[in-house]
Amino acid sequence: MAGGAVPGSERASELYRKYGPAVFRRCLRLLRDREAAKDATQEVFVKLVRDIAKLDDPAIVLPWAYRVATNHCLNVLRDRGRRGEQAIGDLELARGTDGPSPGDRHLAVSILARFDEGTRAVAVGVLVDGMGHEELAGVLGISRKTVERRLARFLERARAFAGGEP
Amino acid sequence: MTGRCPSDLALEAYLLEPERSPLVSHLGACEACRARIARMNEEGEEFRRFVFPATIDAVEAAARPRRWRWPYLLAPGFAAAAVAIALLVRPPGPADDYLGVKGRDLTLSVFVNAAEGARAVPDGAAVPAASQLRFQVRPAGDCWLWILSVDEAGTISRLYPPEGVAPDRRAPGPVPGGAVLDGLAGPERIYAVCAPDEKMTWGEVKGAAEAVATGGAGRVRTARELGGSLSAARQASLLLEKRP
Repeated sequence: MAGGAVPGSERASELYRKYGPAVFRRCLRLLRDREAAKDATQEVFVKLVRDIAKLDDPAIVLPWAYRVATNHCLNVLRDRGRRGEQAIGDLELARGTDGPSPGDRHLAVSILARFDEGTRAVAVGVLVDGMGHEELAGVLGISRKTVERRLARFLERARAFAGGEP
Repeated sequence: MTGRCPSDLALEAYLLEPERSPLVSHLGACEACRARIARMNEEGEEFRRFVFPATIDAVEAAARPRRWRWPYLLAPGFAAAAVAIALLVRPPGPADDYLGVKGRDLTLSVFVNAAEGARAVPDGAAVPAASQLRFQVRPAGDCWLWILSVDEAGTISRLYPPEGVAPDRRAPGPVPGGAVLDGLAGPERIYAVCAPDEKMTWGEVKGAAEAVATGGAGRVRTARELGGSLSAARQASLLLEKRP
């Protein structure tokens, strides 16, 4: 259970073995490029490692690492889009979610990069990952109502962006 | 009836602890999800065989402890706070059996480093007067976080973010850095304040804390929230009784 108090390279190695596969899979799914996913996994873990070494409860660590990986990879995609490479709109969409229509999902992922981290976390969780509102609320530590409110706001602003409004 | 297919994150949790997962029955009946698990296992193997060996050096290097960030002690305005609490960069951290104090839409957990490792402390706990502390917060919604303390001598100490650093938006989880208590016996209350945006200044936060700071030990023990301009902010606080 508790991992002891002093983070160090041995502990980091142990945790990297444990949670690295999940981060790698997450990056692979979002970036769809093995080399980029490898680099992103390393970068995400370098960000996480000092804090992650102090915790070892998967119920806390996994959603946290997953969220950091998601944000990191979305930023990578945003930067790619700016350089004319594969853009964020190419994300693989969730199927069979009980959320908005496929049209809404396509619209949403094409402009994710315009939004702040908190809003993106909700939009990606529901629209890309197909998570239920309740599950996502638990992962993000916010209420289900907040998830729904952020999602509605995101879709409303996304439609405005797609319609050419500033 | 297998129900709705789980998210990738739920499957990741299953792969970490299959024996504790509620997904076993779903996976037994859902061929598509078994295929997802098989693909995830293949990718996990790819990580172990290729990614881990190529990247572990950088990860281990990042894990090595830093030295104290002593320059904080030289920063203007820090001297008074340093009397009460010295900021650390990375003190030893929390165990996972934390204990939180739930305020209005915000939960604050305080961890004290002890000989047996970090332990979460309850509100009103007696702790060694020179304890090292770490913090964890669970805000509901957006949170530009401030953490401060007030002791019976009226000292207000800024604990997060450090002097000269603007507050950042914190997700639920451990708060970087930490603090060391000043070694003086008496009550000290830790406050976590979630501002709704980045506009709230340290001046406002400190101003609200002054009403507690002027009230002595009794006020420190009873003032669970800061008033004034912070009365609408989400807050949580935890009292420590420092023992020699």
